[in-house]
Amino acid sequence: MKHSDNNFKTLRQLLKLKQHEVPPPGYFNTFSDQVISRLQSGEGRAQSSTERIADQAPWLAWLLQLFETRPGVIGGFATSMVVLLVIGVIISERPDSLPKNILTATADSQPTPSLAAVTSPDLGGVVQASGIVASTNPVTSLQPVTTLFGQAGGSSGLFQAASFSPTGSGN
Amino acid sequence: MIMSEPNPIIDPNTPAGMLEGDLVKQARRGDFAAYDELVKRYQQRIYATIYHMTSNHEDANDLAQESFIKAFQALPSFKGGSTFYTWLYRIAVNKTINFLKQRKNRQHMSLNDLDFNAEHDPDLMALISDKTPVREVGLTELQQKLNEALLKLSEPHRMVVVLHDVQGVSHDEIAEMMNCNIGTVRSRLFYARQQLQGFLAEYINPA
Repeated sequence: MKHSDNNFKTLRQLLKLKQHEVPPPGYFNTFSDQVISRLQSGEGRAQSSTERIADQAPWLAWLLQLFETRPGVIGGFATSMVVLLVIGVIISERPDSLPKNILTATADSQPTPSLAAVTSPDLGGVVQASGIVASTNPVTSLQPVTTLFGQAGGSSGLFQAASFSPTGSGN
Repeated sequence: MIMSEPNPIIDPNTPAGMLEGDLVKQARRGDFAAYDELVKRYQQRIYATIYHMTSNHEDANDLAQESFIKAFQALPSFKGGSTFYTWLYRIAVNKTINFLKQRKNRQHMSLNDLDFNAEHDPDLMALISDKTPVREVGLTELQQKLNEALLKLSEPHRMVVVLHDVQGVSHDEIAEMMNCNIGTVRSRLFYARQQLQGFLAEYINPA
């Protein structure tokens, strides 16, 4: 670092010129008064919504600023959003895009049942034994029917009774 | 013989005699007199930093005022993890960089005058007489070229040069103000100086 400082010695000498640049005479005599009068006029009471966003979510402020400085970006962003929406609609309307039932996916030997077959009596036993609700929604289908303290049927596939026996008790 | 003036006695109960921490506490409660004292303490440094970044007095004036107003608004969120001075600087730095990004390609210089001491600064005199004997360049022309060269740097690089080489702020403090690590500050400083040296080669390298 010392070596690089020596390399830039002349440049740093030149940069000293900046220290001699001064504002108009008397400028700082009224500066604080101007700030305080602006604050007293109400500017200091509440932050604007933009400033609040900038404080709480800098990334959002950055995005908004990007849109402001480069109008082309907002066009591109809007176009990509529309394209994504259209793709989403097209995919959701395709008949083979229905989510496969998670329960039947594990049983490879059985033919893939249709949506209606999930609630058929044949699978009902499997569903009840594992304590899982059949649903087309893959998220809610994993929710156990029984609670931890009130399990129907005593033993469930999801919960295993834990046993503890102290090692020294038998000796 | 130079007679030194006696130090004025400052009443610790007035804002001028209060510690920074106490002033901040009072300002947070809405005490404008306390905040006025804080503004007076830091106005020159904040203004100078913004001015050196923008090379424009009017912009520096607006941004400096807005930085102090923003700081007052945000005082309730000031937790005291850093000094008020560093925290205030961070606000001014962010505000200035954001302003410059928006104003890109619309830069207009409005340079301040050089003070009387510039003509007697031995470093500057040596630079003019030794390094550019043929050009007979004046300080005003040098000031113009220096500001133009600074404006060619990216905002973060310019900020590091201004804070360190012009304002004399340490690497550690710059890292805190710019929310980056010291290594980044050092590398930015090196790169910025290299760039400046290239832009100003005519003026700092002997022919």
